Amino acid sequence: MNKNIRKNILKTVLIPSLCLLVCIIIEHYLAIDMVAPAIMALAVFLVSRVTEGYVYGIVASILSVLALNFVFAFPYFAFNFSIPENIISALIMLIITIMTSTVMTQLKWQEKVRAESAKEKMRGNLLRAVSHDFRTPLTTIYGSSTTIIENYDHLKKEQILQLTTGIREDTQWLMNMVENILSITRIDNGGVRLKKNSVVLEELINSVLVKFKKRYPNQKVTVSIPDEFISIPMDAVLIEQVIINILENAVQHAQGMTELSLTVHTEGRKVVFEITDNGCGIPRERLKSIFKDYFEIKDAPVDHNKKSMGIGLAVCASIIKAHDGEISVENREEGGCIFRFTLDEEDSLSEQL
Amino acid sequence: MNSYKILVIEDEKNICNFMKMIFETNDYQVIFAQNGKNGLTMFFSHNPDLVILDLGLPDMDGVDVIRKIRAKNDTPIVVLSARTDESDKVEALDLGANDYVTKPFGTAELLARVRATLRNSRFQGTGKSVRESFSLYDMEIEYDARRVSIAGEEIKLTQTEYNIVQLLALHAGKVLTYAEIIKKVWGYSDYGSVKKLQVNMANIRKKFGEKPGEYKYILNELGVGYRMNDV
Repeated sequence: MNKNIRKNILKTVLIPSLCLLVCIIIEHYLAIDMVAPAIMALAVFLVSRVTEGYVYGIVASILSVLALNFVFAFPYFAFNFSIPENIISALIMLIITIMTSTVMTQLKWQEKVRAESAKEKMRGNLLRAVSHDFRTPLTTIYGSSTTIIENYDHLKKEQILQLTTGIREDTQWLMNMVENILSITRIDNGGVRLKKNSVVLEELINSVLVKFKKRYPNQKVTVSIPDEFISIPMDAVLIEQVIINILENAVQHAQGMTELSLTVHTEGRKVVFEITDNGCGIPRERLKSIFKDYFEIKDAPVDHNKKSMGIGLAVCASIIKAHDGEISVENREEGGCIFRFTLDEEDSLSEQL
Repeated sequence: MNSYKILVIEDEKNICNFMKMIFETNDYQVIFAQNGKNGLTMFFSHNPDLVILDLGLPDMDGVDVIRKIRAKNDTPIVVLSARTDESDKVEALDLGANDYVTKPFGTAELLARVRATLRNSRFQGTGKSVRESFSLYDMEIEYDARRVSIAGEEIKLTQTEYNIVQLLALHAGKVLTYAEIIKKVWGYSDYGSVKKLQVNMANIRKKFGEKPGEYKYILNELGVGYRMNDV
């Protein structure tokens, strides 16, 4: 805040001074008359533009009026406000300034409002989409549990098991969704910087695989990572989420998949993660928008396929972006697709023990 | 039939309900408190063998409950925490909680944690010196000889590496935070301590022949610490 004020004051003094200098050069050395008021008006306009609020512009205009009066109005190099021309020009300068500042302030304020309402709209979209997506599994859970409670004596053991299995499945889907939404709020939290810690690559991969195996005990993942010790600054919870989302996307959408692999290698200081499957690939038209922001996808009519990851891949993109990394996906010639994202390895400086 | 008495401090009625069911089906005795104040009163009057504590209580901060219990005795505490912040877990562990389970959790996971914690604290009670060796799958640690072997073959560890392995083995089943391990192995901690521990751990894993996704001996809890497996 203090720094901001100092910056504004500096601009308020510096811009008119420079313009005054230009005026003096032009009038004195080039012998061109009568440009000083125009140039000083420009100075006042510039100050209003680059500073915040009215105050600096008004100060600049008073400075300019004084300078003009002192340097260019008769008597030269002395103040004189008894001559009517001087007073009138001073008044006009002041009016110009106040009007410019007003317009500028209004413009800046409007911009802010527009940005905020856009954000508000995205939030609204997300909320609407999420609530909509939540309804389907909630219906299953509510319906199945009610069925059990109300018909307990008439249901067979297998039927109860079937209903409760459905409850568990849909709960898992909901848990997944909640994790993703939590991840978004963790990034979107008013520009708060990510909580990054040094994470050992091998430990990250281990943790991901353990969690993934818990959810999909029958899905094998082939892993290949470098032998050397690699440490990456990251928010581990979020990056785990990225890898799990991509793996999960393959399990749910890559039809005909028989191989799923996770490979990591380094290119200079960059660590490249690749998740490859040999399933059906991704249709061209879907490929373009696959990482689109979570709220943008949901602008389209919500699709009723409950098993869709919904926001999973969009969340991946947001997380990687927040880590200043890159994420991409392409279909492979031999079938299936490959997701790739990069993160920066830790600086060697902080690696020293 | 085991006769362990568990005190559950949790304000959510439905969670208490299913915990009551699973603990009673598994022959534990279980009592409940809906808030921190009641929890502490019941703790001191019922003298339970283990406490399950929700960190988000209506009347007081869960970590204050840990502090008050730890000021009196070493009864094992398993904390229930929401996922979002590792720092909450680390704080609870560093204050003396024995373990944590992240919400939402499955009943199998909760039971496993409770079992491991009870077993662990029973050993602690008998004193470490009583135990001469530790074995896990095909791994064997002889404390006196400071010798570690896997499938009968000796694994050559550096002094530091051995110290880390021994520390974890003495607390098998319990997650030890980075800070805790560093304090006990190096006696001091500085800027690069966690990195030093991570590098040592990577070397230990290499010597143990561990593969990511299939850690058998030393498990890692990302952002929290390490745990010697306990089966």
